[in-house]
Amino acid sequence: MFPEAVPNAIEVDTLGIEYSLRFTRKTTFRDTFKNLRQKRDGPTHFWALRNVSFNVKQGESLAVIGPNGAGKSTLLQVLAGILEPTEGRIEVRGHISSLLTLGAGFDQELSGRDNILLAGAFLGMDHREMMERLPGIIEFADIGQFIDAPIKTYSSGMRARLGFSIATAVEPDVLLLDEVLGTGDEVFRAKSQKRVMELVEAARGIVLVTHDLHWVTQFCNKAMLLQKGNIVAEGKPEDVVRLHVESSARARAERDAEIAKALAGTSLPIR
Amino acid sequence: MLRFADMEVVQGARASLRPARRGTFRLLVEALREIRSRRRLVRYLVDADLQKKGANTLLGNIWWILDPLLQMTVYVVFVSVIVGSTQDAYPLFIFCAILPWKWFTSSIGDGITSVTAQETIIKQVQFPKIVLPLAAVVSGIVNFAFGMIPLAALLILFYSSHISAWLVLIPVVAAVQFVFTLALAVFLSAANVFFRDVGNVFRHLLRLWFYLSPALYSADKIDSIAAKGGIISRVFNLNPWASMFESYRNLIYYKTGPEWTSLLGVLILSFVLLGLSIIFFKRTEPSFAKVL
Repeated sequence: MFPEAVPNAIEVDTLGIEYSLRFTRKTTFRDTFKNLRQKRDGPTHFWALRNVSFNVKQGESLAVIGPNGAGKSTLLQVLAGILEPTEGRIEVRGHISSLLTLGAGFDQELSGRDNILLAGAFLGMDHREMMERLPGIIEFADIGQFIDAPIKTYSSGMRARLGFSIATAVEPDVLLLDEVLGTGDEVFRAKSQKRVMELVEAARGIVLVTHDLHWVTQFCNKAMLLQKGNIVAEGKPEDVVRLHVESSARARAERDAEIAKALAGTSLPIR
Repeated sequence: MLRFADMEVVQGARASLRPARRGTFRLLVEALREIRSRRRLVRYLVDADLQKKGANTLLGNIWWILDPLLQMTVYVVFVSVIVGSTQDAYPLFIFCAILPWKWFTSSIGDGITSVTAQETIIKQVQFPKIVLPLAAVVSGIVNFAFGMIPLAALLILFYSSHISAWLVLIPVVAAVQFVFTLALAVFLSAANVFFRDVGNVFRHLLRLWFYLSPALYSADKIDSIAAKGGIISRVFNLNPWASMFESYRNLIYYKTGPEWTSLLGVLILSFVLLGLSIIFFKRTEPSFAKVL
């Protein structure tokens, strides 16, 4: 009907995510009553993302960069379906896999093997398929006979390896990556980098959040700069990275100036 | 415009994630479908839970047998020695109530924290959260099943005159209790995401509920205090636990049938509550990842 050259793997249209500050962070009844009696100052809502629109074509890999708190991780959470947009529309075509913070969801008391199966069930994978992949996952994680010991006995490196191994065992159409490129020791890092590259080649679309600007210019064919929940720039990785470097240098200079000004008012000696 | 036309052509595209307010009935159907498709996850969660409960204690699963017996002993000492009770075979009389009540409180307790305990995974993976309270309540069944061992021991060793064919119907009353427990657990697990002191409040409510139900005394006692058919006894009998305790006791202690009408009433009430709880859960589910 519409002769489009390359279909989109991800479509995001005027996406907005609003957090209500009323209910975030462990409320108790007492807090609620307190809030009822006295109106709190300041905003009750804040937008983690606003007016975000972009497409990722099939075969494209998009890098999302920006300072801390820009909404990068929130964006990945929306794409993964964990958060629902407050406004706007998002569409992801095909099976999606998110490599968000690895291994944080492990059950400490269960063995590595049980945790693999549990994680597979959480990800919604077919049981038979999971059983077939189990040996491969265990082998890639390379944790020896510890696989049948409880996770609480693992070192943090072993935990990260197992997490990475599970997350990359699925072959997704759309891959979401959040700073997973630097886990484990040297050997495992090389191994995992290779695995990610394989997935990148196999996947139909990739969205990557990272601080590793080298990776962005090397492996991504599109980049996006987020600041305070808005898209500031979008385009060729080299251009966007340059802009990001400049603006963060400017921000740092401004912050330094502010600190100097604040200190100038006091009698404290400036070191 | 082009995008919309395109969207309809694409097969297997994930439905738009726009938070359109879905119909009440569709939420229910969706929840049931989610549970069906994630049976395996529920099973793993139950297995994991049972493994952990047994692993961290010295006597392991023996506690499931010892616990109700010890509790019974405490009440027997308190009521029959200090207060003075004329009830015949009093240990068995209260054991009929302690056993289901232990099952109820432990399932509710696990259910309340079932969602908040999985905080990290909820923020990382998209999955139907309804499986969490369900798994908590299902794993509680084992608690009750183990409780049958000391019950059988009591009956055979000390109260063989109370054994009758009616014992076979215990699972029927238990099924009603299961639906009732699930309804409360689903609602409370979602509420606990927003108010972390739901657990504290409910722990005390449960204790009050126990003493207001005919657990340590029979329902006739209330009738003898308040006028039979009067307002107090009618309110007292509205308590679902009044009819559940009495039904258990009929089967085990009095060797008669359960209170069919009131039990059916509790079952209908439980299903209505369960429906409402699921709707509440599904409505609040999208904000779990934000609030946690």
